[in-house]
Amino acid sequence: MHPLERLVNLVALLLESRTPLTFDQIREKLAEGYGHQDVSSAKRMFERDKDILRDIGVPIEVVSTDAWDVEQGYTIDKDRYYLPEIAFTPEEISALFVAVRSAGDGSAEDAVRKLLSGVDRGILAGLGAPALMSEADPNLPAAAEAVAENRRVRFSYRTARGDRSERTVDAFGLAVRGGHWYLVGLDAGRAEVRSFRLSRISGTLELEGEGTPPPEGFRAADHVWGGPLDAEEPSITATVAFAPQVAWWAVRGVRDAETVRTRDDGWIEVRMPWPQGEPLVSWVLSFGPDAVVLEPEEVRSEVLGRLEAILGS
Amino acid sequence: MAPERTRSGRKAPERASGRLRRLLTVVPYLVRNEGTKVGDAAQLFGMSEADLLADLDLLFVSGLPPYGPGDLIDVDIQDGRIWIGMADYFGRPLRLTRSEALSLYLRGTALAGAPGLEEAPSLSSALAKLAEALGPEALGELPERVDSATDDRAVGTLSEVRRAAAEHQRLRIEYYAASGAETTEREIDPEEVFFALGNWYVAAWDHRSEAERLFRADRIHAAVATGERFEPRGLRGAGRPLYTPGVDDVSVTLRLRPDARWVAEYYETARETELGDGGLEIELPAGRLEWLDRLLVRLWPDAEVLEPPELRDRVRELAERTRDRYRDAQT
Repeated sequence: MHPLERLVNLVALLLESRTPLTFDQIREKLAEGYGHQDVSSAKRMFERDKDILRDIGVPIEVVSTDAWDVEQGYTIDKDRYYLPEIAFTPEEISALFVAVRSAGDGSAEDAVRKLLSGVDRGILAGLGAPALMSEADPNLPAAAEAVAENRRVRFSYRTARGDRSERTVDAFGLAVRGGHWYLVGLDAGRAEVRSFRLSRISGTLELEGEGTPPPEGFRAADHVWGGPLDAEEPSITATVAFAPQVAWWAVRGVRDAETVRTRDDGWIEVRMPWPQGEPLVSWVLSFGPDAVVLEPEEVRSEVLGRLEAILGS
Repeated sequence: MAPERTRSGRKAPERASGRLRRLLTVVPYLVRNEGTKVGDAAQLFGMSEADLLADLDLLFVSGLPPYGPGDLIDVDIQDGRIWIGMADYFGRPLRLTRSEALSLYLRGTALAGAPGLEEAPSLSSALAKLAEALGPEALGELPERVDSATDDRAVGTLSEVRRAAAEHQRLRIEYYAASGAETTEREIDPEEVFFALGNWYVAAWDHRSEAERLFRADRIHAAVATGERFEPRGLRGAGRPLYTPGVDDVSVTLRLRPDARWVAEYYETARETELGDGGLEIELPAGRLEWLDRLLVRLWPDAEVLEPPELRDRVRELAERTRDRYRDAQT
């Protein structure tokens, strides 16, 4: 008998049996699968099959079939086996397909396929949709497990500025920003809530004992800093002139930017709110000769100072 | 799963386990959707028609004891359509394993936060239904504790580009190419649209360079269908490397101070060497140097050029041209 056929029969047998079955009963009923060999090799084969079933998530349980615990029987609890009915709309299923369709991540894709049975064939339409590329961070599954189970974790971390240290963190939550995953939690060594970009963890994230739970109303994304463009409340308003070929692109990236006027030479003057300090100078400089700060004067002179410094170096 | 080995050293039935997993997923669909086409089922479940038919062949001889004609699963394939009977116990799929549930939930959350995704509301409601149905046994406390930061950046022409890719429509686009720091016009055949590392990308055939190119969707200023249709060339979408090395690439070596280390996270590097003082030396391949000139002006004095030497002159030259703009603007 083909192993697959034996496995299918075993699942069907245990699912449909009203009472737990002992190995002898299984061997007798599934004689073609387990009956041909001597008892001990048949038992070994059955043990291997059982491991395979457990490995793919079939909930085989071992229970006593008598009060004295002498004989053990095997059973599959239907409630634990069957996926509950979930009334997805075709749009919802197709959105899930969009999320998982990609190279590499088999397990999310398998998950969506299990959800298909309750939906009608309209879903085929969604298959041409785009996919999310997996960042494939090796520590994401462990971090998710830690958050799901409120665990304490330990890992070696290198900050954005390159400082390396060992961290012990109570995993509060996970947030994704700009395509990167961050673990947010209570850093035991610093007694503060910190966020850690998973890609900056070196080596493996280790799960330890139970951690403290997050405070009421905690939201992981609130603790992940998003870079200069949404750092804090804008505190200055700058006016910058852009060359025609980059203006549209420059303006698109800045919230609440407004065009003041288009000059005769085609350059476009834009007024934009901006958080105080350094990033505006760097950002404007990244446009090279295609952007000129007009106001405020201190930003303008800082840009010029930087340029003179490069030329004088 | 690591393949088990039997005592004889043969590979254990790992194949059977993969096939069983698939079978227990595809059969419930076929039981409930009578007369599904073989081709549709194969596509939906990511398998070849031959594999599907081979699996169904084995199902046909399976069933319940005493395995008489009335106990076996009934598989009927006619005119390329499938009917499965006598298999009510396989009428619902197996639950999601914990790792399936977690990875689906995480990927769904990550994409739901992508800017401009039309499916975001459906995706969020699907995840909510999933969390409610599966409960803490599968997902623990994850649903309350994972979220994506709102990203309301403008995505411009994303929906036009997605539609064109789905319908194989050629597009004429205005594109801001960061590599050359200029906006150009060209015609492209967009094949795949995907979200990677926080940005939407379009894999397309570029008629201007007569080559396959990746375009960032937010840098496409305007996109107009030319009215022509194209035959897809089978370009790779998600999962591809975002930078494709070219034969004319120059190898650039930079020394970064701590404040400029983000460059190594943002761009693909060929080598990274820690310098001990918190600094990092990186080597990165570059097809064009214009973007590097601008990056280095921006980073100064936190990045130093080691190779190639002419890049230093280019940076000075760019700084000079930029300074001159300020002088012009003053007069």
